[in-house]
Amino acid sequence: MASSAIPTHAQGASGASQSSEQSGLWSWLTTVDHKKIGILYLYTALFYLLVGGLEATLIRTQLAKPNLSVVSAEMYNQLFTMHGTTMVFLVVMPLSAAFFNYLIPLQIGARDVAFPRLNAFSYWVYALGGLFITLPIFFGMAPNGGWFGYAPLSGPTYGGGFNMDFWVLGLQILGISSLAAAFNFITTIINLRAPGMTLMRMPMFTWMSFVVQFLVILAFPVITAALFFLQFDRFFGTNFYQVQAGGDPLLWQHLFWVFGHPEVYILILPAFGLVSEVLPTHSRKPLFGYNVMAYSGIMIGFLGFGVWAHHMFAVGMGPVADSIFSVATMLIGLPTGVKIFNWIATMYGGSLRFPTSMKFAIGLIAMFTIGGISGVMHSSPPSDLQQTDTYFVVAHFHYVLYGGAMMGIFAGIYHYFPKMTGRFMSERLGSWQFWLNFVGLNLTFFPMHFSGMLGMPRRIYTYDAGQGWDVFNLTSTVGTYMLLVAGLIFAYNFFKSRVSGAPAGSDPWGAPTLEWSIPSPPPEYNFAQIPEVTSRYPMWDLKAPDRMAGIEHSHADAGTIAEAHAVPVHEETERRSAKELGIPIPFPTVKPFMVALGIIILFSGLIVMHAGKFPLAMAMMIGGGAFMVASLYAWLTSPLE
Amino acid sequence: MPTLHLRRVLPVAVIAVALLALAACGGDYPNSTFSHNTELNDGAVFLWDRMMLLGTIVFVVVEVLLVYTIFKFRRREGGPAPRQIQGNAALEITWTAIPALILVFLAVPTVRTIFQNQRQAPTDALQVEVIGHQWWWEFRYPQYGITTANELYLPIGKTVNFSLRTRDVLHSFWVPQLGGKRDLIANRVNHIWFTPKADLSPAAYNGACVEYCGSSHANMRFRTFTVTTGEFEKWAAHQRTVAMGSKAAIAEAAAADSAAKAKPAVKTASIIPVPAPAAAPETWVFPVEKMAAYTLPSTPMPATKFDESLLASGDAAAGRELLTNPANLGKAPCLTCHVIKGETNYANDDQAKGPNLTHIATRHTFGAGLYRLDAKTLALWIKNAPAMKPGSVMPTFGAGEYNALIKQAVPAAAGLSDRQIADIVAYLLTLK
Repeated sequence: MASSAIPTHAQGASGASQSSEQSGLWSWLTTVDHKKIGILYLYTALFYLLVGGLEATLIRTQLAKPNLSVVSAEMYNQLFTMHGTTMVFLVVMPLSAAFFNYLIPLQIGARDVAFPRLNAFSYWVYALGGLFITLPIFFGMAPNGGWFGYAPLSGPTYGGGFNMDFWVLGLQILGISSLAAAFNFITTIINLRAPGMTLMRMPMFTWMSFVVQFLVILAFPVITAALFFLQFDRFFGTNFYQVQAGGDPLLWQHLFWVFGHPEVYILILPAFGLVSEVLPTHSRKPLFGYNVMAYSGIMIGFLGFGVWAHHMFAVGMGPVADSIFSVATMLIGLPTGVKIFNWIATMYGGSLRFPTSMKFAIGLIAMFTIGGISGVMHSSPPSDLQQTDTYFVVAHFHYVLYGGAMMGIFAGIYHYFPKMTGRFMSERLGSWQFWLNFVGLNLTFFPMHFSGMLGMPRRIYTYDAGQGWDVFNLTSTVGTYMLLVAGLIFAYNFFKSRVSGAPAGSDPWGAPTLEWSIPSPPPEYNFAQIPEVTSRYPMWDLKAPDRMAGIEHSHADAGTIAEAHAVPVHEETERRSAKELGIPIPFPTVKPFMVALGIIILFSGLIVMHAGKFPLAMAMMIGGGAFMVASLYAWLTSPLE
Repeated sequence: MPTLHLRRVLPVAVIAVALLALAACGGDYPNSTFSHNTELNDGAVFLWDRMMLLGTIVFVVVEVLLVYTIFKFRRREGGPAPRQIQGNAALEITWTAIPALILVFLAVPTVRTIFQNQRQAPTDALQVEVIGHQWWWEFRYPQYGITTANELYLPIGKTVNFSLRTRDVLHSFWVPQLGGKRDLIANRVNHIWFTPKADLSPAAYNGACVEYCGSSHANMRFRTFTVTTGEFEKWAAHQRTVAMGSKAAIAEAAAADSAAKAKPAVKTASIIPVPAPAAAPETWVFPVEKMAAYTLPSTPMPATKFDESLLASGDAAAGRELLTNPANLGKAPCLTCHVIKGETNYANDDQAKGPNLTHIATRHTFGAGLYRLDAKTLALWIKNAPAMKPGSVMPTFGAGEYNALIKQAVPAAAGLSDRQIADIVAYLLTLK
């Protein structure tokens, strides 16, 4: 795509030079600014994306040909466990969180989230918890029971050693982060919307994020309870899942999937939201069927809690349960299909341009459709019994998570990079990345449909020659290397553009929502003056009033739409500090980081206890707990701003 | 770097996918799920075909609309401003209703097939108990009193009702060519039944564990032989007997001998009582020549060294003595984990940690289908099983060998010499 198609603004990218107080290491440790926290989430998650990607590369290298021994069976099992765990909990969720943090306050016209320090706490728990669960692989002690941790293999009898200790505790830690963030964003969205921004005027990304936060607060307590049972089995000798003592391994499966299936929507809905921002902007048309898009998001979230047992058709639940979960699963295809059609209808009749973000957004529609169709195929148990636990399933959910969630997230990164940094990412490199990603992902995952239906089980570290799977596996491996190259191009583009990308200005894409009314990067306080919103597309009211003629406004009597808008637009030259404007800003504080550190020490004590060093373990647990409580006390008794 | 265009890249992707699809249509796919060997296959393939048809329609409609939109509505210099359309209730109802209708065509046969597949199995079905172990399969035929491992014989045209359970973690039983899978769940007995169709010819199929079960999950495979009813009866009649050359067999021979001399036979209580057939039944196994190449394992051999010249001179009697004399338990505790029907065992089938070896020499594979059964491979296995199957519960027995599982070498004095292993192998190979 020729970069001349992108409007560029002449303003300098860095309006104010930042002092070390604002940009040094200490400032990052103590920041409570939602934008900086969003950027921390972004960098951390991209780091884990590299980790998870390298794990995938090793996995695919081992499977390139039959009977290879690039890695040992045990290492392979750790790699596939950590690949899943990393990509779900340390990459896709936090990448979404990066956007929640950065965008929700900007999109709703707020100066920060409702609880800025809790927000910092969420990040630090995630960052430290991520290390807790990732580092053991360097000692060959990484979790090895699958990201699904099925009992009793994850229990003390069959999963001895420290491997699954790190997993069960690590997920507990990460759950704290997700839950704290979810409550924070719900409060933010409900309470801090700018005047005039009704729920049905919220940008679609904020809508989808809103739905996701409810999924988190309803789903994560379930996995927390399940993990507590497992944790007690592993450390304190209880018998929730201990089969020798009559424990029930199916209890784990039900609890895990009651969490695990909504988790799928926790991963995909934010990407749907991002795409719903990108498509209207680059089509110069409003989102088609806004109401239906919002309702279908809610519907997906709601139905998402009623389909968990379709992961369990092979456990023998009986014909009635099989039928109910089968039909419920089919139903979830309806609101998802509606989204696909509405996105296409948004583009239909538009004036489309194709910057990288648009390519990725369209890529999501094209690829997620494949994952959606194979998902409906899983909903039919007699047929699913031939598919479940084979590579067909691996193909399916990678089309959903790579073709869907990651495509949407890349669209979001290219779209919002100019807002975050004031600079464009390179369109040429972006185009290369997109096409390598697009071809690479199809090369990697499409053949898995074949190998799966031709009988290749999942989670096997090796397979015998002559089984008819060789060509598909080799193709997948080649595709994976292509994806790795695409990832490296992305990283190069990201870091290079940060420093030397073309300056972008406040509204480089001609986008309709509030975040584009303020400078790029936005000042600490976001909005010098809180805007008043009269429609879903306040920036189009201002910049393209003709486009907004047929759209309902709350100030319909105020003459022309351009007169009715109340969004002050601040250009770079108007940038002034919060102090000069008299806007109160929360104090930076290290206390949320300290509380997070206390939690990590507390949990690490259990590992030390398992190692048999009881006095040290007690010291760590009591010390870590005391440190956490003391830091929390200091946090709660110090003023916010 | 040249700029990439959709027009240039799309054909490449389409061609790649088309080539793969071609690859999937030709060639030999021995574990294909698209077979019609049982009624479970029929149901699954019928639903698959219908989903494939409906799915392809949906896919083509969506992608054609998408590609059309991309090309038709690309921005042109001086083009008209797009009409601002917020939505269209009629359209949105249409593209909710049509997929809903499509799903009805899927849901109805799905529910019907679910209830068909999960009816009560016919009462005259062959009963087979499948017991999962880390990492091998135990198969029992309670109607015949047979316990065997990793090789499953099924009569063609007869319904077989599997009851599935596990001794340790979860596993899942799957023969892709014969129908859908079913999990083995601790503290539960699960069921699946199907009928290899009457018009099938005898054949061997691959099976595998498909629920992740630890280190050697990938190595938990098995073979299924579909045979004629007559062949099955011959196989079963032989498999239920005591091991050849075992204590019980010797006692039986002695009893027959002494009966001829009109003296009472001596019976030992510890011997598992078995029906003593008047004449030893003919040994029948699925002919190895009929096994397709893909059912014969080609797992790479370990680095373990073994003096092969000893195998020719293996002394079965000495091997039997090593295994069965309690004095040798320290060195060769085989019978604490394995059962050989007819010998003095320390465990019964419900306690045994390893496969039943009564007729091991009648099997074509061992180590959960990982290796061809022959003297050399057996010797390597006994010498160092963990080197051949990661995490193997069977320890390393070869003197001086390194046990990867416990990260220790076997002391020279405590381990078996190559000579002793060759003797044991010779004995095992008599267990036809």
